[in-house]
Amino acid sequence: MDDDELITAIAAGDDIALRELFSRHAPWLATRLRSLLPATDTEDVLQETFLAVWQGASGYRPGSAGGWLWGIARRQAALFLRRRGPATLELPGLLAINHSDGDPAEAALSGVVMARAAAALGPDGSPEREVWRLVYVEDRPVAEAAELLGVPVGTVKSRAHRIRRRLRAALHMDSATEGGAS
Amino acid sequence: MNVELEELVRRFGRTQAVAGVSLRAGPGVFGLLGPNGAGKTSLLRMMATVLPPTSGRLELLSRDPGNLAERREIRRRLGYLPQNLGYYPGFTVADFIEYFALLKDMPPRQVPRAVAAAVERVGLGDKARSKLKTLSGGMLRRVGIAQAIVNGPELLLLDEPTAGLDPEQRVAFRALLREIGERGTVVVSTHLVEDVGAACTEVALMDQGRIVFHGTPHQLTARGEGTGAAGDAPLERGYSAVLAEARS
Amino acid sequence: MTDGYGPADVDLDRVWTGVAAQVWLRRPGRIERLAARLLRSPGLARALVVTPSLLIGWVIATAVVLLAGMAATLGTHTPYVALFDPAVAAAGIAYAYGPGIDPAWELSQSMAVSDRMVLLARALAVFGLNAVLGLLASAASGAAVAVTFGWLVPMTAVCALALAAATLARSANVGVAAGISGWVITVLAGKAIAGPVTAAVASPSLVLPYLVFTACCGALVLYTTRIPRGAA
Repeated sequence: MDDDELITAIAAGDDIALRELFSRHAPWLATRLRSLLPATDTEDVLQETFLAVWQGASGYRPGSAGGWLWGIARRQAALFLRRRGPATLELPGLLAINHSDGDPAEAALSGVVMARAAAALGPDGSPEREVWRLVYVEDRPVAEAAELLGVPVGTVKSRAHRIRRRLRAALHMDSATEGGAS
Repeated sequence: MNVELEELVRRFGRTQAVAGVSLRAGPGVFGLLGPNGAGKTSLLRMMATVLPPTSGRLELLSRDPGNLAERREIRRRLGYLPQNLGYYPGFTVADFIEYFALLKDMPPRQVPRAVAAAVERVGLGDKARSKLKTLSGGMLRRVGIAQAIVNGPELLLLDEPTAGLDPEQRVAFRALLREIGERGTVVVSTHLVEDVGAACTEVALMDQGRIVFHGTPHQLTARGEGTGAAGDAPLERGYSAVLAEARS
Repeated sequence: MTDGYGPADVDLDRVWTGVAAQVWLRRPGRIERLAARLLRSPGLARALVVTPSLLIGWVIATAVVLLAGMAATLGTHTPYVALFDPAVAAAGIAYAYGPGIDPAWELSQSMAVSDRMVLLARALAVFGLNAVLGLLASAASGAAVAVTFGWLVPMTAVCALALAAATLARSANVGVAAGISGWVITVLAGKAIAGPVTAAVASPSLVLPYLVFTACCGALVLYTTRIPRGAA
């Protein structure tokens, strides 16, 4: 069975399909997570990820299983880190890793860059930081973020627009600084 | 020492199923060989605290099974697979193992993980939620092994555990025995001589209620050399030689 | 079990075990958790809660018999429920015992939660369920109050008889036979001696003999299921 078929089966309650999916995808997911988290945390997040897969498989639209899985893993990692304590450097790192990238070193580097850029959005807890966390790091839909923040959807969208502008400016300035220093 | 038997006797009416057995076993894998009716099952049952001895001294995990409280402590640390297990057809594999894990007084919070680990350990990960009535004989045997190991026992007693297992599963099974034998005592009763040779560190051969040989598999093999005893493999020849001697 | 290995210090087998633990097993229901607290034994609570699934046939039969009894009582004013229930309970109780119902009987004998405790817990569950169903059926069919409650004592006696016979003979079938025939004989004897068919159920003078009989059977059960003594 291919990944799409496996996930459909999981949605129907097939635990053997979940086992097969785990067998195929847990190793690379673990590697990705390990570049951000210590080993025991990786194990915990990976476990939460596959439990979320078991419960949320019906929400999967056939396409990229890997992207979907990484999206869940990323969200679980973010939730895990939030539960553990105040915002840490790992959050931007999670954002930086796309499914198509592979290199953990690259991810770590861009993570640091991202952290500085995120700081440019404002202090922790400010409206922009909250929108950025919910929409970009935890990957929630705009409507859900609006509900969680208690603001209209339009407000979330305009804040997201502002975030994009500021991040681009911050990143551009960063590379400009590095270029100038050499 | 996890097992200490001294002049253990078990009588059923006039017959002596176990006629004075003395044995001491520490960590490791201990093989109990012998023909049918030799008394292996009765001996195992006594070690499983299922049958009381008629006379003699029995000490398990440094406790006295004759004492109610100590017997319960022994049973918490015991794993037992009887020759005829029996199963509840409507239970799933996971439910069955969980049931016995709870009956062994395992702390409930540890149970789900232990059950999952036991299921995977015996290679039934694809069958965890299958009903027992849908399983083959060999799979049922593996379920039996899983319930025996679920509580990480210090004393594991297995009566004919490999019935129905294919060669690949037997290899995995022997690896499991060796692993448990590192910390606890495993006693395997079997009439399949080859099983013994591959996994056991010590072997006892029983005949008519008595132990007629006690040593390493290597020593048993040595007993068969040059005697012309029956058997296709060296260990089998040792087995036949010792039996012939004991009966002469 | 995975296709690849992943990072060297991440135990993927352990991760899967954690996932499987929640996927393969359900969390105990409220009744089981309550029983575990009351009995101070999660194992005993589980043994009790699985009783219906082991005895599902008995539960269905009980319901059918009691419904029939109810209907018959409504039609004829003879309290059939009071007459049937003890027999049905006896059958259920007999099956609470070992070899009759428990295929994994030998394994159960090696358990920390002893098979005797399980037997007692199951017998009580069967009895309790039967009593509740019977009371409801009896009340619903409009039988007199004395009869509605009166049969609980003879029912106890008959169940004790069935259980004693089952444990002595190591056979649930013997227990069922003993229980049902014992009850039938008692009812008929009551009818022959005193007149109404409900004599065996409703006479207050019989309460003490029933209870004494129950105690004797109970002692017999305790003896036959005694935990074997070890070596001297």
